[in-house]
Amino acid sequence: MSRINNAAESQPNLPESNSPLQTPVKPGFSSRKGKKRAPKPGNKGFFQRLSKQKALFLMSFPFVIWLIIFKYIPVAGWVMAFQDYKPQSGIFDQEWAGLKHFKDLFNEPMFYRALENTLGMGILGLVFGTLSAIVFALLLNEVRFLTLKKWTQTISYLPHFVSWVIVANIVITMLSPEGIINNLLVDTGILDKPLNFMAQPDMFWGVVTAADVWKETGWNAIIYLAAMAGVDPQLYEAAKVDGASRWRQMWHITLPSIRPVIIVLLILNIGNLINIGFEKQMLLGNNIVAEKALVIDLYALDYGIGMFRYSFGTAIGIFKSVISVILILICNGFAKRIGEGRVF
Amino acid sequence: MKRKLSILLLSLLFMFAALFLAACSDDSDTDTSSEDDDATEENESDEPLTLTFFNADGEEKSFDDPVAQKITEETGIKLEMDYPVGGNDESIPLMIASGDYPDLIFAKGDIGKLIEAGGVIKLDELIEEKGDNLKELYGDQLDRLRNSIDDPSIYNVGTYGVEEARWETSGTFQVQLDVLRELGYPEIRTLDDFEDAITEYYEKYPEIDGQKTIPLSLLGSDWRWLITVGNPAGFAAGIPDDGQWAINDETGETTYKFLLPELKEYFKWLNGMNDKGLLDPESFTHTYDTYISKLSSGRVLSIADQSWNIGDADAALVADGKEWKTYAPLPVTINEEYKSQGLKDYGFAGGWGISISSTSEYQEEAFEFLDWMASEEAQILTNWGIEGENYDVVDGKRVLQEDDRERKNTDADYPKETGVGYYLYPFPQWGNGAVDSSGQPITPDSEQNIIDNFNEAEKEVVAEYGMENWTDWFPPEEDLGMSNHGAAANYTIESGSELEIIQQKADDLTEQRITQAVLGDPADFDASWDAMIEELEAMDIEKANELMTQKTLDVMELWGTK
Repeated sequence: MSRINNAAESQPNLPESNSPLQTPVKPGFSSRKGKKRAPKPGNKGFFQRLSKQKALFLMSFPFVIWLIIFKYIPVAGWVMAFQDYKPQSGIFDQEWAGLKHFKDLFNEPMFYRALENTLGMGILGLVFGTLSAIVFALLLNEVRFLTLKKWTQTISYLPHFVSWVIVANIVITMLSPEGIINNLLVDTGILDKPLNFMAQPDMFWGVVTAADVWKETGWNAIIYLAAMAGVDPQLYEAAKVDGASRWRQMWHITLPSIRPVIIVLLILNIGNLINIGFEKQMLLGNNIVAEKALVIDLYALDYGIGMFRYSFGTAIGIFKSVISVILILICNGFAKRIGEGRVF
Repeated sequence: MKRKLSILLLSLLFMFAALFLAACSDDSDTDTSSEDDDATEENESDEPLTLTFFNADGEEKSFDDPVAQKITEETGIKLEMDYPVGGNDESIPLMIASGDYPDLIFAKGDIGKLIEAGGVIKLDELIEEKGDNLKELYGDQLDRLRNSIDDPSIYNVGTYGVEEARWETSGTFQVQLDVLRELGYPEIRTLDDFEDAITEYYEKYPEIDGQKTIPLSLLGSDWRWLITVGNPAGFAAGIPDDGQWAINDETGETTYKFLLPELKEYFKWLNGMNDKGLLDPESFTHTYDTYISKLSSGRVLSIADQSWNIGDADAALVADGKEWKTYAPLPVTINEEYKSQGLKDYGFAGGWGISISSTSEYQEEAFEFLDWMASEEAQILTNWGIEGENYDVVDGKRVLQEDDRERKNTDADYPKETGVGYYLYPFPQWGNGAVDSSGQPITPDSEQNIIDNFNEAEKEVVAEYGMENWTDWFPPEEDLGMSNHGAAANYTIESGSELEIIQQKADDLTEQRITQAVLGDPADFDASWDAMIEELEAMDIEKANELMTQKTLDVMELWGTK
């Protein structure tokens, strides 16, 4: 068991949402490490421990290599942000521009709009994404009829595998003035006449968040369900003896038990707050809501690489990374202070 | 419980590993297969040479239709065609960043980036040495292919026909033939005439086939905003199509067109249309597919679109027997003072075309291929197809076979499936006004053919108006004169330049603000328009005007038209 856990542990930042894998593993791993502690301290002890764990190191080795090649070496490309990069000549053969591209970036009103939209939709997505996944996992966890539970779970995470292109088309069609949502609202008398949801700039963040919740809730719930499955059944039995209802059990046992998982996932997601991508916004957006749909990645695409301004695009990338690191440090510090599970 | 957890984790881990490996193996698969291709090419000299070709306007298609096979037979060249997935603008920048170029590139407006990056070669010497067909084709228009006043080399050939006659135009608006018939064939010249016509018809028929009638629909949710919202505004104001610019052809003075008061007048009218419920409320949110399906249902009375954009809908209407629901182009302008520029002759535009990459191993072969495509033999093949299969020679004249003619008019997939007409754009073409050595038109699209190919409804309406062709009710070409600067849309604008950045920002802004103003309350229209002009001025649109004026003057100097 611990071998598997370790392999999972050392698998860093694969794209998408697999990083949560680390969480349920953490306590098991550290306790095992404690037991394995060599009796004699010092260098000899260190090597002994090393050789005892060599299988673990060997297993993590490919992932460390992967990390270095694909995550650390490309960072050297950051140098482009300080040059007037032209792709036809090599990276060492460029004109230096100092902080020009950063100055351009920070003097650009559009960039602040993009930042606002990115953070706005990021925070909404984080709050509603996390809440919906936890609530859904809690409810599913209470279902005692196993077949139904499995079916529900499978069906609920299927949308995760549907491409955003298709989801966006479904959403636009459903929300159009002649779409099913408007028909429902008008027929039930909630609205007098159809509302073109996609033409309301103020509703765009909400539409994106709702589409995101619809698509990802089932998938995100998997990790919470896994954590819930690990809660000691004796706790529930004890609570039942004490006369706790199902709601009480959820509140006092399930939720506190998965709290470390929630906190760690939250920290990781906050670190990614600014990396919300642009597919949703690009596919759902149109000219009316463009102001609310402009996100940093889209800005970098249109005004960076799309215009051949590699240096400018890189400057945006650096800015994003710096913000991510700051966000992660703040959250991690906060988690440390309240004594909860943390990433590092 | 612990066991269950570990099984779950194990399976998740396994899944990610599988995904990861799958991703890797995919890459290696494609790698090896392309290497195999290369290997076979070099080993067997009888095999046709495969040239890779990136077409910025391309689509998924393999080079295996009958016309393509014939081309391969004649030239020993096969094309492997690539295209930007999902209309992605970033293909060329990414190509440059990776340094991985196909042999032939049709980059459209991104050619400047390729030239700057040294990704394409100069063709001047090749044309001089062995470009006989190209030299004959372009003649004194060869100057129009030159890049710029600072670098007057030729980097690409092709795209548009050299001798283009204007027998077809999409006009400012297109209106359903049934509207014209129902109203007793009225004259529609101005925005007011147009509005009256569709209002009257709409009141008569609020529903068509059980669905709500849509008096006017636009497609303003993606880049086609420029086609169906931005361009018609200029056409209505009698401005020739210079993209987002209005150019004084005498002085070369260039202005960002949305600054002009005429344009405001047009959008104010559109705002009124929206207020009166005559504009499709989904005009700025529906997708292209939804738009085409609305048009195909026959319930959209009028559009402000180009025929090439609605080909699928047109074919679907004819196939459904709804010929009266197809569209007639209208020479509508804001008022009688303006002249519709539907038949404007822009001259051979030059500018865009197919280039040969600097990294290609087969530059000579690629050039010979392009030169062959400009030959009479190639033009007949690509325009008419294969003799005996697609056309016959009757009394020394080429005539399309009946089923080919039928499919050409009704089946949008005809060029793609048979290859007939598919390899014209963006290759060098003679153009529909050209004649071959025996004096016959080089394309099947001669004016008579266009008229012969009208559907029954079109024939009736044209006759009712006492015309031969739709072009008859547009101001004639001779009155409009030939453009001295070509068309601004074909200018090469340096990537990342101040001009490009300002224009991009201005375009992004106008697309949003105009859309909002059109959909807003008419009482707020003036205020929102003025606010937009102020915003444009704040982003230094004046500077863009100056830079663009200089570009126009440079082009006129390069072409010797000033």
